Amino acid sequence: MDWQAQETEAGSAIAAASTLEELEGARVRYLGRKAELAQALRAVRDRDSGMLLNGIRQRLETAVEERRATLERAGLDRALSADAVDVTLPGEPFPLGHLHPITQARRQIEDAFVGLGYEVRDDREVEWSEVNFDMLAFEPSHPARSPRATFFLDGADRVLRTETSPSQIHHLRERKPPVYMVSIGRVYRRDAIDATHYPIFHQFEGLAIDKGLTLADLKGTLLHVMRAIFGEERRVRFRTHYFPFTEPSIEPDVSCGICDGAGCRTCRHSGWLEMGGSGMVDPRVLENVGLDPEEWGGFAFGCGIERVAQLRWDFPDIRALWEGDLRVLRQF
Amino acid sequence: MRVPVSWLRDYVPLEMPLPELAERLSVATAEIEGIESRGVADENGNLGLFRVGKVLEASKHANADRLQLTRVDVGEAEPRQIVCGAWNFGAGATVAVALPGAVLPNGLRLEQRKVRGELSDGMILAEDEVDLGSDHDGIMLLPELEPGTLLADVLPLRDEVLLVESTGNRPDLLSVYGLAREIAALYDLPLAAMPGSQRRGHVPGDRVDVRIEDFAGCPRYIGRLFRDVTIGPSPVWLKARLLAAGVRSISNVVDVTNYVMLALGSPLHAFDFETLDEGRIVVRRATQGEKLRTLDGVERALDPRDLVIADATRAVALAGIMGGEQTEIGEATTSVLLEAANFEPFGLFLTSERQRLRTEGLNRWEKGVDPHVAGAAANLATELLLELAGGRLAADSDVHTELPERPVVAYRTARADEVIGIATAPDEQRAILERLGFEHRDGDVVVPTWRARDVTREIDLVEEIARFRLEEVPFTLPRRRAMFGALTRFQRLRRRVEDLLVGLGFVETYTPSLRADDPASAALRLPEPLSAELAVLRTRLLPSLVDAARRNLEIGAGGVALFEVARVYLPGEDGLPDERLHVAGILDGGFTRAKGVVEALHAALKIEPAFDRGTDELLHPAKAASVPAGIVGELHPALLEGSWGVFELELKRLVDDARDGAKFVDVVSFPPIREDLAFVVAEEVPAGALAAAAREAAGPELREIRPFDVYRGPQVGEGRKSVAYAVTFQSAERTLTDDDATRLRASIVQELKRRFGAELRA
Repeated sequence: MDWQAQETEAGSAIAAASTLEELEGARVRYLGRKAELAQALRAVRDRDSGMLLNGIRQRLETAVEERRATLERAGLDRALSADAVDVTLPGEPFPLGHLHPITQARRQIEDAFVGLGYEVRDDREVEWSEVNFDMLAFEPSHPARSPRATFFLDGADRVLRTETSPSQIHHLRERKPPVYMVSIGRVYRRDAIDATHYPIFHQFEGLAIDKGLTLADLKGTLLHVMRAIFGEERRVRFRTHYFPFTEPSIEPDVSCGICDGAGCRTCRHSGWLEMGGSGMVDPRVLENVGLDPEEWGGFAFGCGIERVAQLRWDFPDIRALWEGDLRVLRQF
Repeated sequence: MRVPVSWLRDYVPLEMPLPELAERLSVATAEIEGIESRGVADENGNLGLFRVGKVLEASKHANADRLQLTRVDVGEAEPRQIVCGAWNFGAGATVAVALPGAVLPNGLRLEQRKVRGELSDGMILAEDEVDLGSDHDGIMLLPELEPGTLLADVLPLRDEVLLVESTGNRPDLLSVYGLAREIAALYDLPLAAMPGSQRRGHVPGDRVDVRIEDFAGCPRYIGRLFRDVTIGPSPVWLKARLLAAGVRSISNVVDVTNYVMLALGSPLHAFDFETLDEGRIVVRRATQGEKLRTLDGVERALDPRDLVIADATRAVALAGIMGGEQTEIGEATTSVLLEAANFEPFGLFLTSERQRLRTEGLNRWEKGVDPHVAGAAANLATELLLELAGGRLAADSDVHTELPERPVVAYRTARADEVIGIATAPDEQRAILERLGFEHRDGDVVVPTWRARDVTREIDLVEEIARFRLEEVPFTLPRRRAMFGALTRFQRLRRRVEDLLVGLGFVETYTPSLRADDPASAALRLPEPLSAELAVLRTRLLPSLVDAARRNLEIGAGGVALFEVARVYLPGEDGLPDERLHVAGILDGGFTRAKGVVEALHAALKIEPAFDRGTDELLHPAKAASVPAGIVGELHPALLEGSWGVFELELKRLVDDARDGAKFVDVVSFPPIREDLAFVVAEEVPAGALAAAAREAAGPELREIRPFDVYRGPQVGEGRKSVAYAVTFQSAERTLTDDDATRLRASIVQELKRRFGAELRA
């Protein structure tokens, strides 16, 4: 008997079985009690042929079991396939909540500044005129002091803060330098409502007071923050400006993300987007909170968050941020 | 300010491309918001098609009463026949002609064409057709010029206008000459002498009767009287400059005052001298009850703090802001009193606030105009008036107090380097400052008169250096000696609250802090709101959220669940409101939905919530609960159709109560014993009170007690209810026995019976 040929033939028969019935037929034929292999095993008398035949039997039995598992799994899959779902139908809905775009922008800004080692604060919105204007060195005729620009409460000594800058005063009254802080919150200006203006909006305001801070540090800090918000590929330029509470004062522009500087409608064909105001803290402000400008110095900056959000998400009308329209808010 | 480039070139030679100039000015001086091209396009030889023409013949068009038929020499071999609708000229006139093919500023391309049967081979131009003025009553009449001369060589046919947005500290930039001076400094270019800086011509011996009663409000008043003046239109060049600068041409005299204001930045005014009572000028404060009808036709009640220009008897102008109607220059005016004065900024600003009146003049005065420039302004205006309106200078006066000294500033060049972060050699700093008009004297810096308000301290000089070198300043980060960047506990937990609500399916919304009205009568109301809808600082967030939910219902949105985190403004004690951050929400569904949200909020912050019956005018009277941080319940059905769950909590209170982290309790090692216990109590006993009492009675081995059913009916009797609780006993130290469970149950039953008369149901 050529047992090697016999094993090959049996192996082929097992592998070829395409149903459990065929597999059982092959098993009975080659491994059954009446099979040649079984009969030969019963007749074995010497150790060598016993090992040979047992080896063949074990390998064939393993092959049968493996083939059986394969056929059973295929059979199960066939049965399950009859129960197919339309995968393009929607799943069971879970209500999905959304953070408001201003909150998302706010957190991004907070995180960028925390990463730079800044504290985050949030101050009152109804403020003494003294803190909102006088302490920040606004000259008496500054246009922001006009009730046509600013909301005053009865008596004119209280205002809805016109910028987050009063946080500079609060922080420096509470803390000894060095300080690095960013303040975020609502501010109010008497702007007629249109696509880019709303009388209530949000600002972030940064302040760094330390020894040896320079205009170059201000430029570097704003470059970092603008890139953290808008992307690493953005360029930032600065223009001379004027604010009562900083000197020198500069305004940061970020390269337009739509046209990358070539000029388009979004950037009014300038290639640049105005992002707010900044500058080196004016010595008068430091003196107002009892700091010696020869010893301490630093920089401050402020920027509208609506503007950040509007540019990041490219929506045309700022009023949409205030209307609570779920069709709008669910996009963010 | 709109600054025509052709006008700038009178004072400084501009060689650089305009976009480059605009960029440099934007960075170092003032933002250039745009460069406007105006007038005739300079493309494809278009400018060459605009010529000076000499009218050789002019007669009525045979077939049209209103048209003239002309033959015009435009420097070619043959004159051209042109049909023209204007009659303000005849043969011999020198005119401006556009030839066929020329494109006008409005885009129209001229063609040869027949007009009522006669060929018209060009067009005789009116000033409005080439953007040189707004007049269309007749064609432009030019002085005698060689026919065929390019029109662009004699008229500003083509110009660029810089749109300059200067800042409030630089009134000197609100003038063409001032911007030229700045450009000359930036590029180290020669600058023409200030026009009018040298007085020329006849100086009369007679004085104008000028009296300043208030030198604080008016440090200087130059009055000049012109006699035998002829009021008429301005020449084309003047109209063109004014138009390009955005100012309407009115008459030669008024145009001269505006021109000088634009050129030098010092506003002027002209009175009809004959209308001034006693021919006198008095600068004083208004009297009580005094009135003035200003040039805008408004009858104004003056405030005794308002500075006015008066004659012998009455106010004739709101000083520096607007003249009066009664002394206005008119066509019949023959004697003009020119005012070149200086006014104190803040007083004029306050007057303009009280009068709600802003003018180009005020825009300069309120920023502080150099009192020294009034003399040049008077001189330049005098030259122009005599040239354009004829007549003679008959009298003048220059009344002034001591004009302010130029500030002297002690300056360390090293300070600039420290602040800016790059070194600028002392020589270079000196050169920059001197080009800007600063002088060095004994180691100090003397500020020019036109910067005397803006530059008074060392740091102001540092800014001058910084802005010239701004683009070269590198980007660095501070070298820190201390770092403390982290969100506070409150800020972290605020995010936790926001994220939890988002996780529960809420959409965050922002609503205005100002409302039309507020539930609290003591809410702060703005005396001058922008609109009735934005008038009151809210004390609650919920009304805003109800409005937002209503809007969403109206647009058909389903599954409305909105929340907001924002401040409310409660009446405060020290004059400022007590501002508190609230978190409020509204969602489709009733009481239990809202309560579930509030429970989740408490659970997320690891607070055991204590709910009590509550009352709130915004809530359903029978479905309102309070927690220490606020309220939760069903919205009062009168406020919004449907069944809405709402809550409003004070965020700080919530966060204050939050437990940080968790303390591990072993709920794994020893098995729990679970039982259901039902108690019959009077209807008014809250389920929560029973559970709380049970906890007190059983102690920590009562792991959990949760109500799962409330039954009312005949089996428990009228006015009573049965509340069923799922109870879990478990110890962290040992396995509880049946005896333990019996003991714990008994202590609960006994306590509930004692306190509430509760009966255990079998």
